[in-house]
Amino acid sequence: MAAPIALRRELFSLSRILTGISHLGPKPCLSHTKYNVTRCHLPLKASTSYFHTATVFKSTPSLITVTEEPDTLFQKVSILVKCHDRAVLDSYELFATMAANELGITISKVYEPPKAIDRLTLLKSIHIFKKHRVQYEMRTHYRCIELSHLTGCTAQAYLEYVQRNLPEGVAMEVTKTAMEKCPDHILEPMWKDHPIDNKPSQ
Amino acid sequence: MATHTGKVILSLGRINVVGLGVKTTVSSVTYATALSTNRSARNEGRLDGQGKGPFSRKPKRLAKEPRTAEMSVEQDWTAVYPSAKPFRPNAVPLPVRMGYPVKRGVPPEKKGNLELIKIPNFLHLTPAAIKKHCQALKPFCTEWPSALDNDDKCDEHFPIKVTSTDYVSAGPSVRNPSARIVHLKVKLSSLNLDDHARKKIVKLVGERYCKRTDMLTITTNSCPLRKQNYDYAMYLLTVLYHESWKIEAWEAEKTVADMEEYSWEDSPSQKNIIDLLLRLKVAEGGEVEEEQELLKSGEVQEYKDSVTRLKNEAASESSTLQYKEAVKKVFNL
Repeated sequence: MAAPIALRRELFSLSRILTGISHLGPKPCLSHTKYNVTRCHLPLKASTSYFHTATVFKSTPSLITVTEEPDTLFQKVSILVKCHDRAVLDSYELFATMAANELGITISKVYEPPKAIDRLTLLKSIHIFKKHRVQYEMRTHYRCIELSHLTGCTAQAYLEYVQRNLPEGVAMEVTKTAMEKCPDHILEPMWKDHPIDNKPSQ
Repeated sequence: MATHTGKVILSLGRINVVGLGVKTTVSSVTYATALSTNRSARNEGRLDGQGKGPFSRKPKRLAKEPRTAEMSVEQDWTAVYPSAKPFRPNAVPLPVRMGYPVKRGVPPEKKGNLELIKIPNFLHLTPAAIKKHCQALKPFCTEWPSALDNDDKCDEHFPIKVTSTDYVSAGPSVRNPSARIVHLKVKLSSLNLDDHARKKIVKLVGERYCKRTDMLTITTNSCPLRKQNYDYAMYLLTVLYHESWKIEAWEAEKTVADMEEYSWEDSPSQKNIIDLLLRLKVAEGGEVEEEQELLKSGEVQEYKDSVTRLKNEAASESSTLQYKEAVKKVFNL
């Protein structure tokens, strides 16, 4: 059973490309178990270069390293952004959707969950005057962008880009990552070769 | 002048500190004369309204034209705002106004406007900038396999789904303890299970199995790291699978009450109807038929189907009607 292995690209100092600041170091990669992919054809990217980046400023192609690790596959990536300001979320949604379209990521849907308002009522005065109160509220607006069919490298690049450009403080992001995998040691029960003949359980 | 008086006070302060055991009269005279000479010298050398005394400001530069005046329409905006920076009115060539207007007025202009500086701006993320960034990011992205274009194919080849969440927020800590939770979902139909194994695994997992969608969900949050939780979930799945294939000695003691589904064979319903039909035959005076032949007859089969359906599924109108029809056929009504 030949298993074509997808080559994975590691991300080296993405920030340098964006802002031109100092080298951050290689990103840690998640460990993945190898799976046997028999029928689907995963495209094999040609290995570009294996330069070890010693100096600070180098051109883009030398930063890409291709490893033999199989790429993870994400069936759905859901990004939920929270903010106190709806206008900021509108702009951010525009940015995120444009970035996804540029990178060729399929956006399954973009929607706005209803806002949540936390209200609290406090006494207006420090002493007595119980009938006079003041009310405060905190409004949290949401925006959900659901992407589908992403590879691990694409997801990593896109998410890092989008997270580095989160506006200050007020917008929060919750990313749900649903992964697909194939079982390998669950294909055959191990008792088939050694049948258990009615032993009492211990 | 304020600065002059400030100077005088300072000098007096100095006198108080230094001349503790010394006569003050002599020292004050000397300080005063020193000040007057300094003042006259300064006034001669400076232009328009400079501060008097050794602490005066540097000469004030005349304000230049704002940078927006020299900006062309075809300029590269990504060079003006390459990264996230606060709003600079002299660098943004837009006639923006923001703020609450005074009576019969307009919102204040952008020059010196704090409201425009306070809000987050997206001036560094214009479409041109996004395109540039994505061009640089393209080499790091890989393509999705073209053979897996719809969900069914994905489920066929990759039946196990692992879900976890990452959190990004501003606060004292970058970590979020909820990020360690891992959900593992798998359809039992995609696993290699025989009948007994399937029933056993459903009994083993209990609440975690949804019969409607045939989905087993294992949620792990007992370990502190996500990787550990993921390994634990896979371990649980493996153990469940292999345990469900085992047949223990005590499983032979399975009673009718333990059965998941109702089966008509050797049930009181079968006994009753066979008994009834035999007695009917005897009462009519016909020949004694074999039990097996009675079982194979069409009406009894229909009755069996209707009873099984009533017992296994929730009672609905169609299933009760089916039972009624079957009973009528058995009694030839």
